[in-house]
Amino acid sequence: MEETEAPRRPYVSIMPDENRRYDFRSKIESAEVMSMKKSKKKIRSVKEINEKIKRGDVVVLTAEEMIKLAESSGIEVAAKEVDVVTTGTFGAMCSSGVFLNFGHSDPPIKMTKCWLNDVPVYKGLAAVDGYLGATALSETRGFEYGGGHVIEDLVSGKEIELRAESYGTDCYPRRYIETVVTIDDLNQAILVNPRNCSQRYDAATNSTDRVLYTYMGTLLPNYGNVTFCGAGQLNPLCKDPNYETIGIGTRIFLGGGMGYIIGEGTQHDPKSGYGTLMVRGDLKKMNSRYLRGASIYRYGVTLYVGIGIPIPIINEEVASTAALRDDQIYVNIHDYGFPYRPDLRPVVKRVSYAELRSGRVTIGDKEVPSSPLSSYKMAREIAEVLKEWILEGRFYLTEPVEPLPKEEEFKPMPMRRRELKVRDVMRREVITANPSDGVKEVARKLIAKGIDHLPVIDRKGRLIGIVTSWDLAKAIANDKRILSEIMTRNVITAREDESIHVAAQRMAQHNISGLPVVDDEKKIRGIITTDDISRNLVGRRLMP
Amino acid sequence: MRVRLIYSPDVVEKPILAEVIIKTGLLINILEAKVDAQKGELIVSIPTIGEKLEEALALFRRAGVQVQEITKVLQIDHERCIACGACISPCPTHALSFNDDWTIKFDEERCVACGTCVNACPVKAIKLL
Repeated sequence: MEETEAPRRPYVSIMPDENRRYDFRSKIESAEVMSMKKSKKKIRSVKEINEKIKRGDVVVLTAEEMIKLAESSGIEVAAKEVDVVTTGTFGAMCSSGVFLNFGHSDPPIKMTKCWLNDVPVYKGLAAVDGYLGATALSETRGFEYGGGHVIEDLVSGKEIELRAESYGTDCYPRRYIETVVTIDDLNQAILVNPRNCSQRYDAATNSTDRVLYTYMGTLLPNYGNVTFCGAGQLNPLCKDPNYETIGIGTRIFLGGGMGYIIGEGTQHDPKSGYGTLMVRGDLKKMNSRYLRGASIYRYGVTLYVGIGIPIPIINEEVASTAALRDDQIYVNIHDYGFPYRPDLRPVVKRVSYAELRSGRVTIGDKEVPSSPLSSYKMAREIAEVLKEWILEGRFYLTEPVEPLPKEEEFKPMPMRRRELKVRDVMRREVITANPSDGVKEVARKLIAKGIDHLPVIDRKGRLIGIVTSWDLAKAIANDKRILSEIMTRNVITAREDESIHVAAQRMAQHNISGLPVVDDEKKIRGIITTDDISRNLVGRRLMP
Repeated sequence: MRVRLIYSPDVVEKPILAEVIIKTGLLINILEAKVDAQKGELIVSIPTIGEKLEEALALFRRAGVQVQEITKVLQIDHERCIACGACISPCPTHALSFNDDWTIKFDEERCVACGTCVNACPVKAIKLL
């Protein structure tokens, strides 16, 4: 029996319950709480810092350098000496995209559908405006190429195939266009990313006995590895977790150019310490070194975005948060073996970025290899580049127009329709066989009942194997006689209370067409097949 | 020494590896195996060098197995690589890790050319040779 279906998960520390909203992330870390007790007495203003940048005597440290100074000389000295701390992060940021204006062709077209290198562009805007999202998939190359790659190619100055369709109007007679464009041909290419720069991101592991391919990368079976995201002690929002200096209007390093924070990002969850940012910048002035299209194996495409934010050291509190270390910044490790809503995935452990970055995480009595998905090397480089820009007088700091919200929280989607469970569509009258049954007799039974899957049970009625009509055909051809010789022992199963979406995905993953439904004792409760599920499909909707 | 052993349909059903192990007494370790009724391909690690290794390789060749010594198996394009680390923890033989400057370090000796890292790399910077 696969552990996917009969889990033994010794390391789960919190098993969430779907009837309640989970807030096990809500605890703000003690180090961050401690930093709030530091003095908020103003040491310097952004205006004074900008005057120093102009004069050429501004003191700028990267977040790593700030940590070292605070350790050797103390926060008070560091706060007094340092004007600005630069931060950086370089990770996959799916909620990214670019607003494009193509200009008018002659005769003109009101584009209703548009593709760039076969990647669809959102066209619910004016005639030649569009939004290209980072996760849009190429209609010809699938997971190999998508919106993120088009953005990288645009920034690299490459030629992009443009194709668009329309219905034709009196003012826009053209119905079809196919041409080639580069970023220089576009009137505007403005990167507007609705959610970037997460304050922190929970780590992932996998308790099941098969490999999972997730947006957190490849997760090996049986807690085989841990993956994580975020630059920790270099991560912009981790260095100003109380949003004392970062707000709407803050000028930032974005994709190798200058950009601005235009507000909190979607899913902004400051109460739990998981804030996000919405950012904007001119794509034409960016650098493809800091904007990279990416393919996450068997998941989809995305865009790696480089962001750096300067933290003006306006008081001791900000100095102390800017000096927070990896060992003071914590996230949870979730078990992705449960195909549940993200906040309902069990938490295996709470862990610091220092432990994650060490390459080894202890889970129970196991040493598990850990590795990031975002680049610490590039985060470091971005913090260095931003520091250079400030020292050279090419980048001035801004005062936020408004602070980021501190009270919002991230809610799950309310499920207001009845959802189908396996028990709603499974068949309860299951024809079974015994391991000692003869192959021919079983074949006759399958034909007589018109079924394809036959679970094999032991004397106590527990599932021990399965045979399909295909197995039986093969057995007869190879002259095998007894069921136990030919049955599949590693049976993939379902449970009554599982969503049929999960059961359907499991069948697709294993390329099979039926799952016996079992209880905790492996006793058969029913059987569910792809036919049972498709019978409940009307159009593409699952109808109760 | 890591070696790729290619079995033709004529020899795929013979217990050649077992024979070589018995004759040489070497603890040959199977790193990867793809065998079906038509053909077989094993990647094995033979824990010896020099004459003893040559003896083992000769035994495989005499039995009709094609022998390829594995020297370079993987190539990382450091121009493309963003040093994210997505390849590191999925590697089953711990052949990938970080250098002190957070660039990617590849230990050729540990690699068994399974290709897990090739898939895990988000920017397609790793190639199997």
